[in-house]
Amino acid sequence: MTKIGLEIHCQLTNLESKLFCSCKANYREFGINENICPICVGLPGSLPRLNQEAVKKATMIAIALNCSTPEKIAFFRKNYFYPDLPKNFQITQLNIYGDTSIGGAGSIMVGDKKINITRIQLEEDPGRLIYEGSSSKNLITLADYNRAGTPLVEIVTEPDFESPKQVRDFLNILSDLLENLGVSDPGLEGAMRADANVSIEGGKKVEIKNIGSFHDLEKATHFEITRQESLHSRDIEIIQETRHWDDQRKITISSRSKEEDLDYRYFLEGDIPWVTIDSEIKEKLKSEMPESISSKKERYVSKYNIPGQVADVLSSDKFYSDLFEESHTESNAKEVANIITTDLMGLVDTREKREESKITATHLKDLADSIQSGKISRNSAKNALHEIVKTGKGLSQIILELDLGNVSDESELLGIIQKVISEEPQAVEQAKSNPQTINYLVGKVMQKTKGKADPTLTLDLLKKQLG
Amino acid sequence: MVTEEEIKHVAKLMRIEIDDYAEYVNKVHAMIDYFDVLDSAGVESEEITMQEIPISNLREDKYIPFNEKLIEKLKNYKGTYVRAPKMS
Amino acid sequence: MNLKIPALEFVQEVKNGNISAEDFVAKTLERIQSVDDKLHAFLSVNEKAIDQARVIDKKVKSGDKVGACFGMPISIKDNICIKDSKTTCASKMLENFVAPYDATVITKLKEEDAIFVGKVNLDEFAMGLTTEFSAFGPSKNPWNTEYVPGGSSGGSAVSVSAFECVASLGSDTGGSVRNPASFCSTVGYKPTYGLISRYGLISYANSIEQIGPLTRTVKDAAFILNIISGLDPNDNTTVDNKNEDYLSEIDSGIEGKKIGIIKEMIGDGIDPAVLSATKDAISKLESLGAICEEVSLDMVKYSVAAYYTITATEAGSNLARYDNLRYGYDFPVEGYEFNSYISKARENFGPEVIRRMIIGGFVPSAGHAGKYFLKAMKVKSKLTREINEAFKKFDLLIAPTVPIMPFKIGEKIDDPVSLFLVDINTVTANLTGKPAISVPFAISNGLPIGIQLLADSMQDKLLLQAAYALEQTVTLPEVPI
Repeated sequence: MTKIGLEIHCQLTNLESKLFCSCKANYREFGINENICPICVGLPGSLPRLNQEAVKKATMIAIALNCSTPEKIAFFRKNYFYPDLPKNFQITQLNIYGDTSIGGAGSIMVGDKKINITRIQLEEDPGRLIYEGSSSKNLITLADYNRAGTPLVEIVTEPDFESPKQVRDFLNILSDLLENLGVSDPGLEGAMRADANVSIEGGKKVEIKNIGSFHDLEKATHFEITRQESLHSRDIEIIQETRHWDDQRKITISSRSKEEDLDYRYFLEGDIPWVTIDSEIKEKLKSEMPESISSKKERYVSKYNIPGQVADVLSSDKFYSDLFEESHTESNAKEVANIITTDLMGLVDTREKREESKITATHLKDLADSIQSGKISRNSAKNALHEIVKTGKGLSQIILELDLGNVSDESELLGIIQKVISEEPQAVEQAKSNPQTINYLVGKVMQKTKGKADPTLTLDLLKKQLG
Repeated sequence: MVTEEEIKHVAKLMRIEIDDYAEYVNKVHAMIDYFDVLDSAGVESEEITMQEIPISNLREDKYIPFNEKLIEKLKNYKGTYVRAPKMS
Repeated sequence: MNLKIPALEFVQEVKNGNISAEDFVAKTLERIQSVDDKLHAFLSVNEKAIDQARVIDKKVKSGDKVGACFGMPISIKDNICIKDSKTTCASKMLENFVAPYDATVITKLKEEDAIFVGKVNLDEFAMGLTTEFSAFGPSKNPWNTEYVPGGSSGGSAVSVSAFECVASLGSDTGGSVRNPASFCSTVGYKPTYGLISRYGLISYANSIEQIGPLTRTVKDAAFILNIISGLDPNDNTTVDNKNEDYLSEIDSGIEGKKIGIIKEMIGDGIDPAVLSATKDAISKLESLGAICEEVSLDMVKYSVAAYYTITATEAGSNLARYDNLRYGYDFPVEGYEFNSYISKARENFGPEVIRRMIIGGFVPSAGHAGKYFLKAMKVKSKLTREINEAFKKFDLLIAPTVPIMPFKIGEKIDDPVSLFLVDINTVTANLTGKPAISVPFAISNGLPIGIQLLADSMQDKLLLQAAYALEQTVTLPEVPI
């Protein structure tokens, strides 16, 4: 049986500052080595200053993944030499003196499959290395420490996954969950990375390191299973080893790390006392946590009668569900859900489009209300939405500018109806004898008003005119 | 019990080049031998404790940039990068 | 100009206009010029010290607000960062390191108008207790320059003892303030762990070390503590002392106080002169109304082994950052592979640092942590429980600071295990986080003996009161240099 376990590294991108210093957590906006200070480049004499909010956000993740949360947390040093690690050790967490990592055992359902979480730890991200030079002989290693010290949460799972598909489903759920919690933006480059361990029936466990995105994680596990199965079928022993994911070639490569590199000499970080997190604070955190995706979905279905599939889409995406939450009322909820899932999603289907989009909750509310009151037709609403996303102008202004408002002025409509009656004598006769065919005339009125005639009013007036 | 081999291994782990390992064997050996006294301390059941602070005493999450261009004070390559040797 | 006055007297004299800070600082620099060739306390001298003193004199004259130090010239152990000046840790590894920021203690002293007259010598990265392991050569004991001044804050003790400054800041990881204070006949004080910020102190063993003052008098130590102690947002391990005034009521006496004599610290191997001085100190304290009784701390027997295991482990990790990539000395990376480069670069560490790093790689390693590191941590815990128990019964504990007399330079340099025993009386305060002070108490055959007092955590005020009382019971000869 195939077994896959994951170690997922998730940056807490929504924090203001790094884990141990006041440099910016979102390092992406800076020039090379412009987001550094004595602490994050590990200058002699500097000391870590733990970020309170990072501890809180990581605790929220632990709670959301149904993990136990200890009374006090401890930090450890993981010692190894690498040029992206300014102190040549990483401050991280472990459970060697009791459960002192930010999250203990937990679990999450992926469809019908229960995935067990081993632990969650809070740690610092290393810097970034860039390689320059034409041949491997002339390779120059360049270090940029802007990322060093970015708060990172590592989620370690049991080897409970049986297929890359399950891995993918889990990752989708996890990134939605993290986004919903408001702790991270999984879409940011490098915000989510992972290591995986993969084994097949009768084979040893193989670690795959350095997987730079969730997308590649599925590919990497898939590649590794195929590789192992191919070895197995040829009776070649699968050895226990560490492999690296080559994201250029999309394959895993054996990394012959020497044995001594693996002795991390973990011990307690003396510069950070054990941090006590009492139950009062945990309760407060729980109350501050946004509603979970599953609870949102349930509410949408039961309270507003929104179809399950629509509710699913709406609740799992924070961008849409936030818009929905802010714009819907008891009466327009279904209409808002409809606008979001049938029209808006098509308009802002990429990250860039979302970021450029000018739509607000007010727009959505106005749109839904206007449809419901007959001020605007669904068709016109779609056109208006297009304009809103592009310009952010108010709905009433757009209706005026693009002349999208329904013709609901009786005298104006009456004039048009009379014109249609005089142009379509045959259809009029037919409608008089067979009221079913009146819709043809309604259609003609719609044509003349470019779909803006209030349909109910049109029908009423037509009937009156025909006697 | 500390052999030259072991010292070589640890020196490598700690990234220290040593010209003459034998020179270190005796002193390190004597020091580590002395630590054997810990075996008779009878502390097996002891719990490891540490200083504690409440979460509320930790630093507030605020961005405050360092007051100068630190990279200029570090060894730098073309003014912006830190240069490391090639990786094996 | 009398350079021998204590800090508080200096402050008073400048305040009253009896002496000028500029004159005093200038004379201090002259003194350094004339004696430091023999003593080698200083690694660098502050060229701007006189200018800085002149500014203070101006403020005094014009009646402007002047900080509590009034231009007091103090020396700083060269493992504490002063912005834009070299901080070498007496290591070739950091020979060219210029700190881009001030340690918290430096910031506080600057605010109170102290003048840093120079950076002083230490064992490389504070690893040692004789100052012989400085990469820039040993310091010498002003009482007899053939003898070690103790360490690792040897330069601090020498500079205070030989009147090359009024006071000094050192750091104490296992006795590194108290030991040289004892050997050079100055006051040396290690406060409760967390009382003074370590921000800007270059770490050796961060979980147990503290910055501490070396001064002429106990009152001076209290005066400096008032300035440099307190909660610091830059150091998560600092504790809130609610702005305690350590100087007020320092003469409260010790009548009725119960003092425990630590049995394990006056046992085998103690020098008879040290033992007799200790007994003398006890009877003097008793004559002041203290009640002294023997107390046993069983774990003291294991404390040195635990101390070296823990400090080597932390040092091995703390010193890993010195890979010469971001700062350090001139040694181009071209042609080297990463691991071979840093291994080569790190050859610039001295032999004692290398020895401790090897031990620091060995004792916490996967195969050995259980036997060494974990046990050491447990000894630390049990020793802490024992001493906490003792402090339920006693207000203070007493022992000689060092069980042996100062020894000659080179005498013990090749025998690390015999050096271990020099630490036996001082490491307990570090492992347990308790405050401890060494008070100059006797001179035997021309060499000083210090007596150590310990108190419970955050009882620093009580400790200083007791130390003051003990200090008043003796008058010691002047240093013969």
